[in-house]
Amino acid sequence: MTEPVTVLDPTAEAIPTQRSLNPRPSGLHGLTVGLLDISKPRGDVFLDRIEEGLTAQGAKVRRYAKPTFTKPAPVDLRHEIAAQCDAVIEALAD
Amino acid sequence: MYDRGWSDGLPLVAPTRERVLRMLEGTSRSGDEIVALMPPNLVECTVEKVAVNAVMAGCRPEYLPVVLASLEAICSDEFNMHGILATTMGVGPVLVVNGPIATQIGMNSGVNVLGQGNRANATIGRAVQLVVRNVGGGAPGGIDRATHGSMSKLGFCFAEDEVGSPWTTLAEDRGFDRSQGVVTAFCGEGPRILLDQQSRSAESLIRMLAEGLLASVSPRTVMAMDGLLVLSPEHMARFSDAGWDRPRFMEELGKLLLVETDTILAGAGGIDEGLPEGLGGLTLPKFRPGGLLVVHAGGPAGLFSAIIGGWVNGPMGSEPTSREIIR
Amino acid sequence: MHDIDDLERRGLVGVFVASEPFSEAAETQAGALGLDVARVFVAHPIQDRTDDEMRSLADEALDALTRALTSTPAVTQ
Repeated sequence: MTEPVTVLDPTAEAIPTQRSLNPRPSGLHGLTVGLLDISKPRGDVFLDRIEEGLTAQGAKVRRYAKPTFTKPAPVDLRHEIAAQCDAVIEALAD
Repeated sequence: MYDRGWSDGLPLVAPTRERVLRMLEGTSRSGDEIVALMPPNLVECTVEKVAVNAVMAGCRPEYLPVVLASLEAICSDEFNMHGILATTMGVGPVLVVNGPIATQIGMNSGVNVLGQGNRANATIGRAVQLVVRNVGGGAPGGIDRATHGSMSKLGFCFAEDEVGSPWTTLAEDRGFDRSQGVVTAFCGEGPRILLDQQSRSAESLIRMLAEGLLASVSPRTVMAMDGLLVLSPEHMARFSDAGWDRPRFMEELGKLLLVETDTILAGAGGIDEGLPEGLGGLTLPKFRPGGLLVVHAGGPAGLFSAIIGGWVNGPMGSEPTSREIIR
Repeated sequence: MHDIDDLERRGLVGVFVASEPFSEAAETQAGALGLDVARVFVAHPIQDRTDDEMRSLADEALDALTRALTSTPAVTQ
């Protein structure tokens, strides 16, 4: 019989607190929706069309772009979106 | 340990408390010190967690400072390990070690330098990737979406041959002193061989190197992707015999790495991929200023050099990043 | 995903759009973040699409995006 070996955990051991999504409004009419372009090619064409669709639903649209798709958005940009918008759509990762 | 998802596919050394404590003796830093915010989950990574993974990778304690400095380099905002994990391109951190520490811990800078067989080279790179996997949560199939991947995602670490080089070292070129231990992280793929067995002059060989470098990543990229050139001793001799130092080499190479953009526009040669039409009529360098790193390494015989293609460079992607190795 | 997670923390309602091969990555990231970030996937590939094809993808996604922002979001694969 060999002795059992105790090993240390190589992982972060971080169990995230499970959170819920914020309550959704009944519709987008009259709300400001931010469109956050992650700055990958082709995403702008996609978002142009989404903007048309949202405007038709009575939403006000504001456009934003990340400096690069390879990193999370800078904190100033997230702050700006949070201050100016009620909702946000981020696109388009491929 | 494999079933827990801790392995890169190879067997691991069991990280027992004794082995981890012995590993921690390799650094003067405290076990609870935070080394970096580890992507992609952006969690705080302690020296102790690095030590656990270094044990699993097969490191000796004296390698730990190199692993720690490597992690500091790749987790910096400019290196952007987060984006490197998420990209479909098969790139990863290529770690080049400079300074006396490389020989002190037995790193290979000579025969088969980019290959197998040296414990320090093999396990330092592996330990770094195990930390990314286990602490950061960056594993293939999950966040890591690489189409093909490459050895730089398994672990890619080597030392520059400084003793045999007539030139300044990569670290010196990047502002460090020769006495410092330095690790430079470059975001790259695996190495490809560039063969030139007939050039007898610097003027001939540099043209051949330029031809090979122009195809790095794709013949149609200019300035967007960096490169790392590993000059072999026999290729280096062509330049040192001609009295070329590093600045002269870079200057001559730069003249040959100019691209007429008309030849690489979208549609040119019947190929859809290429630069937009608006960029026609220009002459642009293949590599942005500072975008080609050159190191000297490899066995004494062999008229080859190695090219390691990079990824999206600069603030949009990854910046080559150096950190001093603190014991 | 990190961006939407952060903006939800700041009180917004958000949704993230990616192409289908990234659904697994998104699921892993949502698990690590502790927030089941609303997400909508469109057909891959993206980079070689014409403008018209991109607009069609947007038209097809619009309804799912609206639902993700306005009702209990359908959990996407």
